[in-house]
Amino acid sequence: MRIIHPRPNPIVAAMYTLRDLNVDVIVVHGPAGCCFMASRMLEEAGVRVVTSGLKDDDLIFGGMKPLVETLKMAYDKFKPKVIAVIGTCSSMIIGEDMGAAIRQANLDCTVFPVDCHGCTGDNTTGAILALEASNVAGLLSDEEKDRQVSLMKAATSMEKRVGMAGREYLSPTRGPTKLSAANRMMNALRDGKKVCCVMLAKKELAFRFADMFLALHQAQQKLGGDLLLLGNLDVNLGLPRIRGYAESITSELKENGVEFEVVGGLDEYALLGDRMKEKVEDYSPDLLIVIGIPHAYPELKEGQILVTDQPRQLANYLSMGLDAVGEIASHSMVMGAKTIVPLETGDTIRELLE
Amino acid sequence: MRRIAIYGKGGIGKSTTSSNITAALCERGLKVMQVGCDPKSDSTRLLLNGKAAPTVLDSIRDGGSPTLDDIVSEGYGGALCVECGGPKPGTGCAGRGIIAAFETLERLGAVERYKPDVMIYDVLGDVVCGGFAMPIRNGYANDIFVVTSGEMMSLYAAGNIVSAVRSFSDSGYARFGGFIQNSRNVKDETRKVKEAAEELETEVISIIPRSDTVQECESRSMTVIEGAPDSEQANIYRSLASSLLERSKDAAGGLKGF
Repeated sequence: MRIIHPRPNPIVAAMYTLRDLNVDVIVVHGPAGCCFMASRMLEEAGVRVVTSGLKDDDLIFGGMKPLVETLKMAYDKFKPKVIAVIGTCSSMIIGEDMGAAIRQANLDCTVFPVDCHGCTGDNTTGAILALEASNVAGLLSDEEKDRQVSLMKAATSMEKRVGMAGREYLSPTRGPTKLSAANRMMNALRDGKKVCCVMLAKKELAFRFADMFLALHQAQQKLGGDLLLLGNLDVNLGLPRIRGYAESITSELKENGVEFEVVGGLDEYALLGDRMKEKVEDYSPDLLIVIGIPHAYPELKEGQILVTDQPRQLANYLSMGLDAVGEIASHSMVMGAKTIVPLETGDTIRELLE
Repeated sequence: MRRIAIYGKGGIGKSTTSSNITAALCERGLKVMQVGCDPKSDSTRLLLNGKAAPTVLDSIRDGGSPTLDDIVSEGYGGALCVECGGPKPGTGCAGRGIIAAFETLERLGAVERYKPDVMIYDVLGDVVCGGFAMPIRNGYANDIFVVTSGEMMSLYAAGNIVSAVRSFSDSGYARFGGFIQNSRNVKDETRKVKEAAEELETEVISIIPRSDTVQECESRSMTVIEGAPDSEQANIYRSLASSLLERSKDAAGGLKGF
């Protein structure tokens, strides 16, 4: 299948993985502007992302000099403990030796290259290359690397099976307003029914989707009904930064008196569907809400409410006749977040409660 | 203007052959521009009596803004000599360099200013990536010839070049004109080259015998046309030059034919 809609590439996936490993500085070895949208978002999250800014001259004569200079500048400016250099299409086509530049820069910190470019395949291939390079650099144990690589493969296979990677083209949509979804959730609680919310959040997006737990909890306190919250918020799983996210979110939910059950970690969303479904079936709710990456849940059907952040994924759900709302642009809101970021759906519930 | 590209395996005698063709054409009063497309940048050395022409890529490196006078050197018989240049071996991308060099010549209006009757591109044929195929594409050259000996690797490279030209000719680009046999005294050489040409449905347009005159002139940094004008070898180059003129298409336009 030829898939033609815009989507993330391996370079960006590698950069996000490096962030999760708490790499301080990422040097993008390529033209200025390559991956700049992702770079800016990562800067918001506290990672310093700089570019070697290759020019036509460098493509012809080689980009060793600008890379060495960029490495030295980044070291002087940011005093980092760990720097990663990632390849791009242009630098890898001309066969740049990033390792040689790193040796020549001779910096007093950990510096390692990730030999990735835009054409290596699925975006997760970039993440896997970053994991392997981090493992060689001593940042990641063999065990955790293997675990992460298998999670990446599971995520790719899920996206091909039921996600955007299984469709030739999806145009983005903003979808319906949040009012009817909020009303359905509140009416179910008001009628004393059983409501279950399954969160299958991908990494930092949990900072936004966790607001669904807060809002549903508030609604249940005021309206009654029965509520079961299931979240992939295990604080003991994942790369260092990801575990930190789970910890922050868990303590904020607890402070607010929200009770929830933990099923798996924030990086395991692609693997947790069946475990979630088992718990949901034991509870047998009148209304099921699936948030985050809803298609990671094995049985999406009419009557459920799905909440996603991705405009193209939303189009996918709506085209399948499912009841879904979009929390568009969530990703830019959660980059660098330290506390839960309100959802529009959550705010709608809160407004209706007043 | 004739737009001719001479390809061939490295070390097979492309530059010597090209320079002698250029010299022979200049001798007839034609204005010829020879463009060396090899990072070694030694295509025009014999036309310049051993002097190394400044390269186009060196001139634009680090934001340089050259004029045509900086990159076009006048050699034997008024030959206009240009060297594309390129990166050090093992770094960067020589193919991208050829593209950038052509863009520079075009931007500076080389053809408009010198109005050459013949353009000769001398191109390394071991690497046929997009950059080294530039003279074949985009209308820079109309007629492509390959210099080969009877050695197997040379014939193999020649076959590759022919297939590259043919794959481009579907898009209306250059056409393949034939083999130029530069003899190395391989056993049965003429038969081998002829058979290879027939297999590729082309022909051998000239057979240049191995001759000490060539080496003797080269040691004086000269073409045979300049160094031994009355020799039999010089006449062979002269007749090759005539043959190229007969077999190439005359087309107007700038550096690019369209």
